[in-house]
Amino acid sequence: MSSTKRYWKDLGDLHQDPEAIKGREHEFPQETAIDQVLGDPSFGGASTGRRDFLKFLGFSVGAATLAACETPVVKSIPYVNKPEDITPGVANWYASTYYDGEDFASILVKTREGRPIHIKGNPRFGLNRNPSLDKGSINARINSSVLSLYDGARLKGPIKVDQADSAKAQMEMSWDDADTAISNGLASAAAAGKRIVLLTNTIISPSILSAVADLKAKYATVEHVQYDTISYSGITNANLRSFGKRVMPSYDLTRADVVVSIDADFLSSWGCTTELTWQYAMRRNPDGAMNRHFQFETRMSLSGANADERTAIKPSELPLAVIALHDRIAQGTGGISLGGGNADLDAAVAKAADALIAARGRSVVLCGSNDEGLQVLVNSINSMLGNYGSTIDLGRHSTLHQGDDAAVAKLVQDMNGGGVGALLIAGVNPAYSLPNADAFRTGLQKVALSVSFSGYADETASLCSWICPDHHYLESWNDFMPKAGHYALAQPAIRPLFATRQWPESLLRWTGSYSNWHNYVKGNWQRGMAGVDGQGGDMELAWSHAVHNGVHDVAATPGEAAFFNADLAAAATLAKRSATAGDYELVLYTTEAIGNGQHANNPWLQEMPDPLTKITWDNYVCMSPLDVEDLGLNMYLGEQAPASLVTVTVGERSITLPVVPSPGQKSGTLAIALGYGRGANGEKVGLAACVTDHDGKWNSVGRNAYPLTSFSGGSVRYSAAASLSVDGGTYPLAITQTHLTHMDRHSVVRETSLGVYKAGDKKAFNPAHTLAVHEDVNGDGVIDARDRKPVREFDLWEEHPVEGVGHRWGLSIDLNGCIGCGACITACNSENNISVVGKDEVRRSREMHWLRVDRYFSSDMTHAKGKEEGMGKIGRYLEMEVPSQTPKVVFMPVMCQHCNHAPCETVCPVAATTHSNEGLNQMAYNRCIGTRYCANNCPYKVRRFNWFNYVSPKFGEVNPAWDDLGRMVLNPDVTVRARGVIEKCSMCVQSIQAGKLEAKKAGRPVRDGDIETACSAACGTGAIVFGDLNDKGSSIRSKASSDRSYYMLEEIGVQPNVNYLVKVRNTEETTV
Amino acid sequence: MSLVARFSQHFPGLIHVFLALFLIAIQAPALAQAADQELYATGEKLFKQNCASCHKPDKDMTGPAIQGARARWEGQGDIYAWIKNSQGYLKTGNAYATKLFEAWNKSVMTPAAVTEEEIDAILYFADNYMPPVAVVVNGKEPPTPPSDAGASWPWLIVLALLFLVVAISLSGVRRGLANAVREADGRTPLPERSMGENLRAWAWNNKIFATLIGLFVVVWLLIQGWNALWVVGVYGGDEVENYRPEQPIAFDHTLHAGQDNLAINCQYCHSSAEKSKHAGIPSANVCMNCHKAVDTGTLTGTTEIAKIYKAIGWDPENQQYTGEEEPIRWVKVHNLPDHAYFSHAQHVAVGKLECQECHGPIDTEMTVAEQWAPLTMGWCIECHGDRAVDMAGNGYYDEVMARLQETDLGHRELKQYLEDGKITVKELGGWECAKCHY
Repeated sequence: MSSTKRYWKDLGDLHQDPEAIKGREHEFPQETAIDQVLGDPSFGGASTGRRDFLKFLGFSVGAATLAACETPVVKSIPYVNKPEDITPGVANWYASTYYDGEDFASILVKTREGRPIHIKGNPRFGLNRNPSLDKGSINARINSSVLSLYDGARLKGPIKVDQADSAKAQMEMSWDDADTAISNGLASAAAAGKRIVLLTNTIISPSILSAVADLKAKYATVEHVQYDTISYSGITNANLRSFGKRVMPSYDLTRADVVVSIDADFLSSWGCTTELTWQYAMRRNPDGAMNRHFQFETRMSLSGANADERTAIKPSELPLAVIALHDRIAQGTGGISLGGGNADLDAAVAKAADALIAARGRSVVLCGSNDEGLQVLVNSINSMLGNYGSTIDLGRHSTLHQGDDAAVAKLVQDMNGGGVGALLIAGVNPAYSLPNADAFRTGLQKVALSVSFSGYADETASLCSWICPDHHYLESWNDFMPKAGHYALAQPAIRPLFATRQWPESLLRWTGSYSNWHNYVKGNWQRGMAGVDGQGGDMELAWSHAVHNGVHDVAATPGEAAFFNADLAAAATLAKRSATAGDYELVLYTTEAIGNGQHANNPWLQEMPDPLTKITWDNYVCMSPLDVEDLGLNMYLGEQAPASLVTVTVGERSITLPVVPSPGQKSGTLAIALGYGRGANGEKVGLAACVTDHDGKWNSVGRNAYPLTSFSGGSVRYSAAASLSVDGGTYPLAITQTHLTHMDRHSVVRETSLGVYKAGDKKAFNPAHTLAVHEDVNGDGVIDARDRKPVREFDLWEEHPVEGVGHRWGLSIDLNGCIGCGACITACNSENNISVVGKDEVRRSREMHWLRVDRYFSSDMTHAKGKEEGMGKIGRYLEMEVPSQTPKVVFMPVMCQHCNHAPCETVCPVAATTHSNEGLNQMAYNRCIGTRYCANNCPYKVRRFNWFNYVSPKFGEVNPAWDDLGRMVLNPDVTVRARGVIEKCSMCVQSIQAGKLEAKKAGRPVRDGDIETACSAACGTGAIVFGDLNDKGSSIRSKASSDRSYYMLEEIGVQPNVNYLVKVRNTEETTV
Repeated sequence: MSLVARFSQHFPGLIHVFLALFLIAIQAPALAQAADQELYATGEKLFKQNCASCHKPDKDMTGPAIQGARARWEGQGDIYAWIKNSQGYLKTGNAYATKLFEAWNKSVMTPAAVTEEEIDAILYFADNYMPPVAVVVNGKEPPTPPSDAGASWPWLIVLALLFLVVAISLSGVRRGLANAVREADGRTPLPERSMGENLRAWAWNNKIFATLIGLFVVVWLLIQGWNALWVVGVYGGDEVENYRPEQPIAFDHTLHAGQDNLAINCQYCHSSAEKSKHAGIPSANVCMNCHKAVDTGTLTGTTEIAKIYKAIGWDPENQQYTGEEEPIRWVKVHNLPDHAYFSHAQHVAVGKLECQECHGPIDTEMTVAEQWAPLTMGWCIECHGDRAVDMAGNGYYDEVMARLQETDLGHRELKQYLEDGKITVKELGGWECAKCHY
């Protein structure tokens, strides 16, 4: 037996709740739509008479006939002057850079006929490049960003907001008018000696900083204030205190044998995640030197879900835990002890500390808290362990997250005090995201000239006197220095769609310079490069190289030795003071999809299920299941089972949201996601930020939780003492993983420990599926249950000639590599024109994603443990169903498994789904008549049905592809499916065909790695690998034949072409 | 029977005499001028090779008209040295050469590798230049657009009307006669009735016949209507294969691509056929590669070529671009449904198909581009099922063969493939749904 653990997807599954189970017996829980129509009470009272009906019928038939008579004449309009590098029908890829103040990545932009349609990580250059795989690591927010280019709510030109008008009417103006008015405004503010403040996110562009310097030179009172929506002030201040440098260090997790993360979700939201994820994943290979990951946190985060050892703690316990860890390490390394650590957590802390001490100089402690004192203690720990200079680099430090909360707080004060004459705001939305947004809004009224560079008339921009919309980043030139010595360039992939202007160019214009931003960046770059680069010769060539690669590295400077020098006792006092306990303790976090909220208007991201809760289109209060049960709130959520509403109050502010029981969360805590509730006051912040909710009301998606943050001790706090009241109301949530069950079979997920895996006995962790046969297989002279043959040898159907003949495409999915981030889901959306269907449809299990990432929790109880404790078999099984306080999590990407004996193919009455001689399960949409037999018969539940014509105004609120602008994002090589047909993962057959054609044209075999599916290209951790199983040298072949390889539900004999690799956790357990 | 034919039938000898006389009459001057004709032809050829991109014989273009150049240079300098290497000749400080160079915007005339005899030939050609006679291309009648198949029906209508008039007048006569008879018999004349009343009376008297006629007319109308509906649209019916929409520019493929005419390679203009799924409609700047010089066509004169100039914003008078561009809105002839993916590159670059295999005799017969193949799925897979893959010398197919020969299963498959002596497209996946549908 590989694993005696029970895997469960949600609490309904775990407790075998009869109500919850009932709903899952059906593939499509909801009856057909016709029942809804017939059941509508207004239907019977319709006033349409027989005669009217006949009239309509006659008219419709006549109109349709007349319309059909028109010969469809299709025009074909070629270029007048064809650009040399564009061939219609062939994609161009451009290297560029993504930076939005939150994420940074070097990317490649795919354009077709001049339209950007897809984004992936730069596989050759950049700090997000995984050198072991030659893939660029990105997340869902980055590859979805192509969609926001085509958002109809983007401003089309400069706007003047009528400040006198109570409704703040917006008037479209010309750039000349805007320039004149704003230049005058700046001049008069400077003349009056009032502050001119430029409020931006962290600027890492040398050219923008130079433009800001130009502005400062022109107007004496200009000040630049940087504000990070999610603050890192506590960390940077702590580094100032400890090392004299107010920066975020850069990390090298590839050198870390032990990673201890204290409330830092570094795989999803903390630090430079695009770099940290691939570094982490590189050390998760059980065949290499696997790292050991400890996580201490309040809620179940993505990082916690991947950890080997996870301990749930309350925010108020954090300082004590850090002090305990500090002292333990001080004992081991000869440092100074502080005393007063938390005894409750001793065992877990001791385990982590011992591992850290054993891996001195090869370990790292990350801490996500924004408390300066706490971070000083963590710095001390890392310093004692000798991690500076090896896993942590303060020399080539990160330049991200330089925001200063204290400066922002002072700015708001000054605005209200009338000391600010002009405010220019770029890249941030303080009226939405500040803890004291109300004060900011009132202060803004007192600023004579306020200019926003936002591309939308958002919460802040709509209150400013001018909006000078910035280009979308895909229309922009820019340069970046995300890390000292590492430069990156962004180049436009399309001409600006609207009359927008890049905001630093506006700054230049107001300094009186008419320099074009491209020339400015280029000049800056060439001047800068001439000094450091040595390519002094041909600067034009050097520039072209840099634009082509998107990246330029200058000679690495060695990481300078960091000397820790801070008053530890003072820091400990500071840290302890930040701990505030209450009835409940609230933590505020950002989700993988929505981030800090600036992408809340992206439908792909809204519809991407949260990795842990699998909820779409909402934020909610996560609570420990124990607390949910105690309060008597709804535990089992589903289509017909809405969540209970509660009101969370922090100080004077409260928020009402549905409750979601979240296994793994510390009892007595609440967790709410930030970034929701955009456009709550009717601001036009873009598609999908607001939708019609279940009551038919136009409302923002989720509620804004930023008002629950607070500013104290020099930085913004994301935890607070809170009280909770139960309202009694309910609220429907759209959850994707209470449907589509795997029939409760246990051969879906396989997991083992490193010890067992290293012992090398495949039977112990990955036994083959066998079936008993009526012949003497083992030769013991008796025919009994021990006479078994591998499942593979049983065949009802004729073999498909795919093994060894031609190609046999397949995917290999390494459960160890998958961190659950979901970048593959949005990449698939973008590549395959997958419809967004909206919350209501998702709630009815009608989401269209071809690829889902299943999340399974597991219980701590094992057979071995039960035996030790002397429990009976039944008792053991019962115990296995008890939710653990720290369940472990496995993520499993599931797409069509492309079975060689596909059950779907045999039941299709019209042969719309067939098997190809390259191992693909094909879907011919135009043949499909929509019986959905295939979806019924699919054991993996990966087939999706088009219930509606999603490309229609009815779904215009959520589906980007229905209007002329949104349609530009569609991949022209993939059919947009119509109503009434089934669709599913095609293994990106368009890329396969294109790759084969390239090979044929070049007269060579298809090389391994030439063809990538959208999901495999998006997977920077290398969890998803695509390739030709018939190619003996391919990496997928070696993966498929490794000891860890297994097939999902292998015992049913459908012979999938997608294989999975057993998850190995670096724990001490010798049994599983 | 034509007039000439009838004439020759009656006077077999006479026609030959006339013909002989006519031929001698037109041949005579040609014989006399044979040598000059040859020089003219040589000059023309050399002119096209060396000069035509910038000069015209009789008009100014990028450079001046060549006609009269020799006369203009008379006494001014060495025209041969000028033509051979103008930049070199300028250095000699020749006043006329300098003046010329200044006058033509200092455009550099590229040196030409021509002998003095050849220059003589070019100048002779230019001086004696006769513009080509429109309509006659290489002595061959241009293909006339096929005349309308139903051209005789107006005559039928006229005839029918004539019959009607005769019938009406005859009925009048008949009536007059009948009344005369009745008068003679002493009966009252027939009541004066309108045509309609007459018809109704007739129908009343011949109920069965009238019903049958009515039924016939209705059925005939229905059939005609049904057929008319079939013809509408491009996605079905008899007319599909010959869908030949009117184009904004009367572009003639036979003139440009025909072997007897200019014989331009198809992919000179449809250059992406080897690289992309689209063969590509050439952009107007491709047209200008030739039409910057060729501003007068043999079939339509300047009218159609002027449309290219308008599109790309070319001012032929001043020989410069105005920057006022307007895309040409061609009508797409070959419309595949959206759910079918077709790649030209696959068929042209890998399959090595000739364009004509799917587009028919576009270069020899189609003066207006038309759809030649039905483009139905049946038509596609018929070819896929029959055509052998050209595997020789392509490393991709070497790998396919190598894999087939490695395993027993592969051997079995290969044997099956080769039952008809060839490996067809179908056997390598040409009949798989996802070959074209995704």
